[in-house]
Amino acid sequence: MARNDILQGTLDLLVLKTLARRGPLHGYGITAHIQRVSEEQLRVEEGSLYPALHRMEQSGLVRAAWGLTEKNRQARFYTITAAGKKQLEETEQSWARLRDGVQRVLRYA
Amino acid sequence: MGLRRLLNALRPGRVEGEIRRELEFHLAEREDELVASGMSREAARREARRRFGHPGSLRERTRDADVATTVESVLADLRYAWRALAASRGYSVVAILSLALGIGANTAIFSLINAVMLRQLPVRDPQELVVVGMAGGDATEFTNPLWEQVRDGAHPFAQVLAYGDVQFNLAEAGEARPAQGLWVSGGFFEALGVTAMAGRTLRPEDDVRGCPATVVLSHAFWQSELGADRAAVGRTIRLGGHPHEIVGVVDPAFRGLEAGRAPSFYVPLCADAVHNPKGGFLDHRSYWSLRIIGRLAPGQTAASTTAQLATASASWFANTVPADWDAALQKDYLARTMDARPSIGELSSVRTTYAQALWALMAMVAVVLLIACANIANLMLVRAEVRQRELAVRIALGAGRRRVVRQLFTEGLVLAGLGATLGTLLAVQLSHAMVRWLSTPRNPVVLDLTVDARVLAFTVLVAVATALLFSLAPAWRAVRVDPQDAMRAHGRGTVGGRGRFGVGRSLVVAQVALSLVLVTGSALLIGSFRTLVSVPAGFDPDPVLIATADLKLRESPPAQRLALQRDLLERLRALPGVTHVAASFMTPLARMAWMDQVEVAGRTFAKPEDASVLVNLASPGWFATLGIPLLAGRDFASSDGPGQPEIAIVNEAAARLFFPDRSPVGARFRMARGDGVNAEIEVVGMVRNAKYRTLREGDRPQVFLALSQDTSFASSLSLVLRTVGPPAQLRDGVLAVVREVAPAASVQFRRFADQVAETLGTDRLLATLSAFFGGLALLLAMVGLYGTMAYAVARRRGEIGIRVALGARPGRLSRAVLGEVAWLLAVGCVVGLAGVGGTGRLIEGFLFDLGPRDPAILALSVAVLVLAGLLAGWLPARRAARMDPMRALREE
Repeated sequence: MARNDILQGTLDLLVLKTLARRGPLHGYGITAHIQRVSEEQLRVEEGSLYPALHRMEQSGLVRAAWGLTEKNRQARFYTITAAGKKQLEETEQSWARLRDGVQRVLRYA
Repeated sequence: MGLRRLLNALRPGRVEGEIRRELEFHLAEREDELVASGMSREAARREARRRFGHPGSLRERTRDADVATTVESVLADLRYAWRALAASRGYSVVAILSLALGIGANTAIFSLINAVMLRQLPVRDPQELVVVGMAGGDATEFTNPLWEQVRDGAHPFAQVLAYGDVQFNLAEAGEARPAQGLWVSGGFFEALGVTAMAGRTLRPEDDVRGCPATVVLSHAFWQSELGADRAAVGRTIRLGGHPHEIVGVVDPAFRGLEAGRAPSFYVPLCADAVHNPKGGFLDHRSYWSLRIIGRLAPGQTAASTTAQLATASASWFANTVPADWDAALQKDYLARTMDARPSIGELSSVRTTYAQALWALMAMVAVVLLIACANIANLMLVRAEVRQRELAVRIALGAGRRRVVRQLFTEGLVLAGLGATLGTLLAVQLSHAMVRWLSTPRNPVVLDLTVDARVLAFTVLVAVATALLFSLAPAWRAVRVDPQDAMRAHGRGTVGGRGRFGVGRSLVVAQVALSLVLVTGSALLIGSFRTLVSVPAGFDPDPVLIATADLKLRESPPAQRLALQRDLLERLRALPGVTHVAASFMTPLARMAWMDQVEVAGRTFAKPEDASVLVNLASPGWFATLGIPLLAGRDFASSDGPGQPEIAIVNEAAARLFFPDRSPVGARFRMARGDGVNAEIEVVGMVRNAKYRTLREGDRPQVFLALSQDTSFASSLSLVLRTVGPPAQLRDGVLAVVREVAPAASVQFRRFADQVAETLGTDRLLATLSAFFGGLALLLAMVGLYGTMAYAVARRRGEIGIRVALGARPGRLSRAVLGEVAWLLAVGCVVGLAGVGGTGRLIEGFLFDLGPRDPAILALSVAVLVLAGLLAGWLPARRAARMDPMRALREE
């Protein structure tokens, strides 16, 4: 495993963060963004991304609409909703706590 | 979001299309990127796809997120169940049909129970209504003078009403057209909160002495007789020969106060004066014909009202003492009080008559359904066995066991749902047929059998319970399947062994036991009915025609009436085909009784009932016409007239009871006659015992008085004609003769045989239906046994083939199979006999001359069941014996 697969549960966080930062994006754009920003450290599995996007759409965290890309292709663009932003905030905090906790354990164990 | 997911579940195609487009876009983008980084277009496409994994599965997982998984998977289960059931059509048809029969029978009986016992009266706050009764007894009938005391006295009710049955002839003359209605007090409708759909209902001011004759019609009567003509309100209709002004038509939902009987019209009590100007029931102090219903005052209960009635009613009785009663009876009358009973439903005679029969039938159909359930469970087990590999594959592929179980239950529900739908259609027919069966022109049973929410809920509940019940065994088995085992076993031979078969065999034993209970029950009811039919009634009804004639002679003096009667009988005797003609006050088994008490000099009776006799009035030749032999003394003669000493003929039972030491002829007794005076009566003859009210009754003392000496009798009398041809042929001749003699007369005909048969209505219904259900149970048990054994043989093909190849004789093999059948039957019968002991009590009340554990009947039932069972087991046994070992082994 050359690059880290994304930890279960963090995909939602990354997607929401990406959408919050970059505005409407299609699925491919999301993977590309995460890969680029993480400097190729994180790789989003296509097999996980779309089910996750659709699930978040059903839970009202993101909204989707068909639109045209700059290459004039039809793509489904995702936008974060208010509920999504709230969710993002909460997940970010719990992620921070988790990261601190893990780091402490690693430091002292 | 839930709604959208639901919508998505309903349009999977559209969702799929969108997902495909979205994923294709992603692939295209990835491809471009890879090409840009220097890959060939071809390799880029492959790589893009590779990264995606299996596109179908990704699409599916993505879709799963879009579609509510529960709804979706339920739909999938349903689709799957449908496919599975359609795949084995024979099995499904058998299962659905037996469920339709089982559920249909249950729904039919329940809808009758609902209509007769459960449905609330369509009146305002029926729970506030109480029935006024005579304290310390069953009686709920009162006289009009007593009713007027209650109405005008200090009664404890918020509102109070009275009503009584009445039958009026709609025809002016000729053949009678009787219609049943109610005498009602003026406050009847107001107290019940029943309104009119046209015109108005009766009001208190319509029911005052000297009132004009008015009438409120029932909706059904208004439709059938007046063609639902709204202009009919305000016109008059002739009832019993008197014009009544129609003031309104009652709300269609209201069909009287007694389930099963629907009055056609409502006439105010005071109108009796129009029909009987010379004293009807209005001032009669011993004519007990009215029922009184009260609406409880706020905050009161039946008990507190009873306490108030106890004090209030003393003066009511004191004010209405019948002057013609003797001192002892008057004292008894003065001691009476009234009480209030919350059981308004008990008023229904249909309910009291049929309640027990309906519960017995309900129990029967429930057992039939249980047997059907066992059958379907067995079929499903067999199918589950066949499908074991399929289920094992599904479990191995990761389908949760819960999902598999749910799948099996879904199949069960689909089966039960289809069965219930079909069964409900069947139930509507069946329940209507049963009501038609119980209904007779004289006692019409009218029930509202519309399928209401309660019946529907019952059916749904039964269907779901059935589905759970028969899916339980296969589901239980399915979760215990070890996928590896199941795949390896390859549906073969003996490995499954007896352990697996335990469930199936237990089901067969249960079926045998339950069928034995039903078969015994129906054998008892049929046996009892056969006894009842063949019980010597004491008369010969077949050649006899009854013509109940109202001669309209109330105004004429007694002498003229009697002369006219004689004339009528003479002319009727001259009719061709008539061998005997006579007249009486009433005919046997007409559901009427005239009871009185006798005094016999030198005899004291321990209880007043010991002195009670059943009374009738008869003309000369009456006994001969009905075929009741005269055993001693003489018959009445035309010379026995009103002026002479009163004479009577008694039956054997009366002779034995009252004159044990002597010949009854010439003996004397006293009995209250017309005016309440105890007259001395001389016995001139004795006849053989014959039934009076029912065929079930024992021999009770009966006294026949001479019709020709009776001056007080009502102008209606029963003519009996013994004929040589079919009795019904005489109708026109009799009608013509009656109208010659009394032009205004009306006549109602019925065959005596019909009247006798009618008294056995409930017994016949029970016997027939129980025979049907018993037969059904037997058939279902046979199917179950056959299926189980046939399957056992098929499963053991290999083993049997080896045995045959090793030289086992075919006879031995079939004996082995039959031996197993016999074993199952034996266990089932033992269990069943225990059940018979418990359930016998349910039908004990219907049995005539038979105990619920009659050994002959039990032996017969066991024999029938064992024979049927062996027959069902014989086919598979034969198949085992005829198995070709080579073929059986080759198939392995």
